[in-house]
Amino acid sequence: MEDLLIRIEKRNDVPTTLYFFTPFIAIILTIIGGGIIFYALGFNPVEALKFYFITPISNLYGFSELLLKATPLCLIAIGLSFCFKSNNWNIGAEGQLTFGAIVGGGVALLFYNQEGFYILPLIIIAGAIGGMIFALIPAILKTYFNTNEILVSLMLVYVSKLILDYLVVGPWSNPEGFNFPETRQFSDSSRMPLLFEGLRIHAGIFIALAAVLVSWFVLYKTYLGFQIKVSGLSLKTAKYAGFKGKTMILIVFMISGACAGLAGVGEITGPIGQLHRMISPDYGFTAIIVAFLGRLNPFGIIFASLVVSLTYLGAETAQIFLQIPQYTGQVFQGMILFFLLASDYLLFFKIKFQNFSKNELRH
Amino acid sequence: MATDLRISNISKIYPGCVANDNVSLQFKSGKIYALLGENGAGKSTLVKILSGVISPDNGEVFLNEKNLKLSSPLDAKKNKIGMVFQHFNLFETLSVFENLSIDATEDNKSLRVRINEILKKYNFNIDLDVPVLNLSAGQKQKVEIIRCLLRSPKVLIMDEPTSVLTEQETEELFISLKKFCDEGILIIYITHKLKEVLSLCDEVAVMRKGKVVSVSQTQNEKVETLANKMVGQKLAKIKKKINFSKNKDEIFKVKHLNFYSDDPFETNLVNLNFSVKKGECLGIAGISGNGQNELFQILSGEIITPNTSIIFRNKEIAKLNPKQRREYLMAFSPEDRISQAAVPELKIYENVALNNFKSSNFFEKGLVNERKIKEHSKKILSDFSVNTDNVELKSQFLSGGNLQKLILGRELITAPELLICYNPTWGLDVGAINYIHETLIKINDQEKSTILISTDTEELLKLSDRIAVIYKGKLSKIMPSDEVTPEKLGILMGGGSID
Repeated sequence: MEDLLIRIEKRNDVPTTLYFFTPFIAIILTIIGGGIIFYALGFNPVEALKFYFITPISNLYGFSELLLKATPLCLIAIGLSFCFKSNNWNIGAEGQLTFGAIVGGGVALLFYNQEGFYILPLIIIAGAIGGMIFALIPAILKTYFNTNEILVSLMLVYVSKLILDYLVVGPWSNPEGFNFPETRQFSDSSRMPLLFEGLRIHAGIFIALAAVLVSWFVLYKTYLGFQIKVSGLSLKTAKYAGFKGKTMILIVFMISGACAGLAGVGEITGPIGQLHRMISPDYGFTAIIVAFLGRLNPFGIIFASLVVSLTYLGAETAQIFLQIPQYTGQVFQGMILFFLLASDYLLFFKIKFQNFSKNELRH
Repeated sequence: MATDLRISNISKIYPGCVANDNVSLQFKSGKIYALLGENGAGKSTLVKILSGVISPDNGEVFLNEKNLKLSSPLDAKKNKIGMVFQHFNLFETLSVFENLSIDATEDNKSLRVRINEILKKYNFNIDLDVPVLNLSAGQKQKVEIIRCLLRSPKVLIMDEPTSVLTEQETEELFISLKKFCDEGILIIYITHKLKEVLSLCDEVAVMRKGKVVSVSQTQNEKVETLANKMVGQKLAKIKKKINFSKNKDEIFKVKHLNFYSDDPFETNLVNLNFSVKKGECLGIAGISGNGQNELFQILSGEIITPNTSIIFRNKEIAKLNPKQRREYLMAFSPEDRISQAAVPELKIYENVALNNFKSSNFFEKGLVNERKIKEHSKKILSDFSVNTDNVELKSQFLSGGNLQKLILGRELITAPELLICYNPTWGLDVGAINYIHETLIKINDQEKSTILISTDTEELLKLSDRIAVIYKGKLSKIMPSDEVTPEKLGILMGGGSID
């Protein structure tokens, strides 16, 4: 054999340790890739990367901001992991977040001039239910009408954003707000308690942590978790085992929607304090990256949400100190996903060069 | 001109498995050669090397003393090596002629003339303008053969060609192959069916674990001698005694089973009625694709059909899903081991938990009882002699035979009253097949019933008390198996009728 034949073969067994290690490789490659981009833009790459990844968390305030942004990402990704693990491709967490925020925000506005310990729990529950209902739409259409949940959930994102737009401009706009597209400020009882004076990090982080623990328990220790795992690997087997496939689709979408709704409520009752057009910098979409970077594992997702949260902060710092657009954050998020998928490919497949293997055989 | 094909010191190594170990063989035109071996003996690897699909790590192929460089299927074609695979490479929705013209180099008019000549010469009866999906398996195979003949091959390799054919179609195929042979085409016939080797071939090479263990004239061989060479050990013969008696209770009764599907790739079932008695094995024969898939799924509860009545142990179960049916002590072993009956990525004990019946306590109050599942799995592994005792092993590392033992063990550990299995020994080696057959016979001896849907007539004749044939979604009358011969089955499986 003279010519070089390249062949791609599936690896039979991928070590678990390596499986959880590749996200780190992806992150390192992203940092290198980022350095190259900064260099090409004419910056000193080391300095730029320092602004991007070190400066934002070099003080307590920065660290609080990191946790603040990681909270919704973690919550949404936890919810998404239920869907993704069972082969349901919910791409519309951003819409479920928005709709949860609308419903929760509506309750908050009802109580805008009242105080009481019961108000915040009501808002939180309303938000979760809002997200859940919105996620049920693609789920029901999928189970009973065979629609594609990717398209439906994605398109519903724009529906919910337009509903929010209509509400903050129209019926819910602040009567004393000089026609700004925003609602009244929520009352103090409608706000998430702050953890430290002067920092924005709020009690929502406990909801996220609780979600991590509960989801770990459900996924690995319950019959529902087992069914989700089997359905994700083979729908044919799930059917053969007699799992109630339709019920399960509805359940995972409801869990996912509730988590996204909670994230939405956390934003409007936490740092924002009212409803307006821009309640989320695409947390719902970015959380998809978080879910996969965290290997759909609850504790992996905590780590991944912190990393991705840093790209949001880094983008802001870079904008201030280097005068480059904030959108570099999305560049970094894109690079993380790209490198993760690429290293996964190399993890699950091996590339064989024909004439090398021939030489190997000789000894 | 005489053709001489020589394979010299071919080796092919896959991770963890030597598929071909220094294989050397010589073939000359004018004879039909059999390449015999169990699944995994290395036959397919060798054939793929000859047809250019894979390249050997070592070794050479000579055609008339010319060293062939076979790095793609195109090279094999150029060197006039034709190949008919077990699975057809035809476009179902295109017509026969369109399929044949895809890789033709001449214009359609002269191609049609040449095809018609071939049809006439070999007495093939195929309409060139119907879509391939309307053809029977035997006809599809003929299309594949015509495709090879159009290139006037020197060598024709047939890979397990009879696995999808009826007895009649097999006979026709043998006649054609003999004709090709007389015309000077060198024929290599790959199979694991011993009788075919004896009735068709002149010379036989037996492969075992990647090595050629014997080359001999078939006239000097018998079924038993070949089987021993192939398996490498003396086989104990098992034959079941007929267990059918009229006075026994009917345990399972199906009435008015109809199934209609919009999917053109599924088969509609038309008014099936049958019953199974206690301790009996009902065999359902048929060539794959005649409704067995659909029947199995309806019997297991994966598909619920309206207006069907299924009575099991005096209860109506037609509306129950597989899990609920299991509670009534039914068990199911589907054909597809790897993507339906078990999940390769799951650990052994997780696959065991798929058969979650109430008394197992695998999941108490919705929580996983891992200890219980593992205990139970260990028992299955030892009771059904699966060659591992590690319940944490991923199932993908089990061989087909061991995986099937695990699945059967999982299904049988509940001591079900009725086991429904579909091609339980498909693709297994002789040792595993024997074990599974013994197990199935043991069930009947314990007065439990089985429904065996199978495409292997030998297996059906060996295990069943009564046999029916399914053809295009219709069931033949049910016959006591001692009145059934392979020929009778063949006729029914091919859509004919007897007496």
